[in-house]
Amino acid sequence: MDPRLKVRALGLEFQNPVLVASGTFGYGDEYYDVMPFSELGALVTKTITREVRKGNPPPRIVETDSGMLNSIGLANVGLEKFLAEKLPWIAEHAGAARVIVNVAGFSVEEFIEVASVAGGAAGVDALEVNLGCPNVKAGYVHFGADPDSVRQVVSGVRAQVDVPLIAKLTPNVTDIAALAGAAVEAGADALSLINTIPGMKIDVERRKPTIAMGFGGLSGPAVRPVGVACVYKVYQQMVSMDHPVPIVGIGGICSAEHALEYIMAGASLVQVGTASFVHPQAARQVIEGLAEWCEQHGVKNISELVGAAHKV
Amino acid sequence: MKPSFEWVRVKAVERLADKTYLLGYERPDSARSAAPGQFCMISPPEGKSSFFLPRPFSYFRTDGRARVDILFRTFGKATRLMASLRPGERIGEFGPLGNSFTMPGRAEHAILLGGGIGLPPMAMLAGRLAGAGVARIDLIYGELEGARVVKLAATLPENVRLHVATEDGVVGHRGRVTEIFAPMFAKCDRPPAVYACGPNPMMAAVASMITPEAVEFYQASCEQYMACGRGICQGCVIPVWNGDETVYMRCCTEGPVFNGFEVAWTHV
Repeated sequence: MDPRLKVRALGLEFQNPVLVASGTFGYGDEYYDVMPFSELGALVTKTITREVRKGNPPPRIVETDSGMLNSIGLANVGLEKFLAEKLPWIAEHAGAARVIVNVAGFSVEEFIEVASVAGGAAGVDALEVNLGCPNVKAGYVHFGADPDSVRQVVSGVRAQVDVPLIAKLTPNVTDIAALAGAAVEAGADALSLINTIPGMKIDVERRKPTIAMGFGGLSGPAVRPVGVACVYKVYQQMVSMDHPVPIVGIGGICSAEHALEYIMAGASLVQVGTASFVHPQAARQVIEGLAEWCEQHGVKNISELVGAAHKV
Repeated sequence: MKPSFEWVRVKAVERLADKTYLLGYERPDSARSAAPGQFCMISPPEGKSSFFLPRPFSYFRTDGRARVDILFRTFGKATRLMASLRPGERIGEFGPLGNSFTMPGRAEHAILLGGGIGLPPMAMLAGRLAGAGVARIDLIYGELEGARVVKLAATLPENVRLHVATEDGVVGHRGRVTEIFAPMFAKCDRPPAVYACGPNPMMAAVASMITPEAVEFYQASCEQYMACGRGICQGCVIPVWNGDETVYMRCCTEGPVFNGFEVAWTHV
């Protein structure tokens, strides 16, 4: 463990600031022999919903320039099976890594139910609330697109769980800083951003969208400048607040340099996502690259760099 | 053998037919353990990637010691880049991945259908079946155009009977592989083991021509857009019947080899 990479955030100590993004590392077991998540700052699990979900019809993914589109439909094993079969294994193999469970619901009530059960389970260090989930009772608008929904979900969950709460924000809004503010006021202990951006690819031979559901979420290097800008903007918002919370930067991080962009824009922690599909050990390369950068630049602790791009 | 990732050096890239290439490299772990039907994810040379995600390819041939050959067809930017690789360039291989074909238990006759670029796992399987002492092995290989036909005869064990069909009629039977399969299957006096890899309509047609009672099994190797190759992204699913409902199974982990009677061909 490199002391220069040790980070304190959310009232927890992270052995390094590099996490893996929800949906890109499964439940930690699939990649374990190639890339044990115990080396990471934290594992963020695939989104868990109350019921088991079959997911959307295929094709669900397609590569695009410098990224990919996905429309998986939150396929997951469901809360009960997750707690019985996945979480015990994760807890046993976590080592010094933190375990963050990503939760979602299709109504405020379901959000609160899933979060309160998962948040109370042994071995869970924090929850990440996936606000990119559609609200079935409110015309399928994403919870994260509306400040009132954000407040309802976050404050509802906050009242039921003791573990730290990370609100994962969607960039598909007019003013992400306003939604960030709403999440923090409602009790979020940290904000993670960004979720994917809606996109579409048309198969011109078939004259229809390549992905069965039409739209997909864009991720990968293509979204990195959007993510960095959102983090930068939300960091400015945090500085102006009485009780700012740390930011977890996500979007197209494939190397230490990319992680540093997010950190300097204001992120205390980062998540490696789609890059793990390209190279299962991408997160390890980011960790090693950050240690090397600190060494070369005489940085005693990576936290010194948080928000560095804002200082004049 | 657990799958692993390794950078390997390209030994050779050889054009075998129109749009069809052989990529050879050395990777002892894969050469020793890859089973017919398994696949690997190939990443482009670092710094040369005009594409982003690795691409899945079935193993075509291994020498059991070090050498691995992948047979591929140029289709998009990834395969075009692969065709331009030179000996000595470094590519990434993540594998061996997925399940593999089952060797016949009681069947003494195996019928293999390879449609287009579905050929590679069939060719590897034919060799393995011959080595396992299966008495009769028929490999039916089809292409749209004769110009795309890979000359296989010299590389197959002697007792593998190769039948070629092309829709333009330039090589072999003019028509489809199923037109060779139908009379052959009709003449079987005992249930053969049937294997297929190719376009979904071809594999669906085979399923409609046979019944579970008339074969030892029918195994179909399926394909879908894939990102991680390890069951994580849930991207590469195909619908499989579970009673009256379909469930989604991942080609990369539950597959790529499926029971050909269980795949919901009308839904793929």
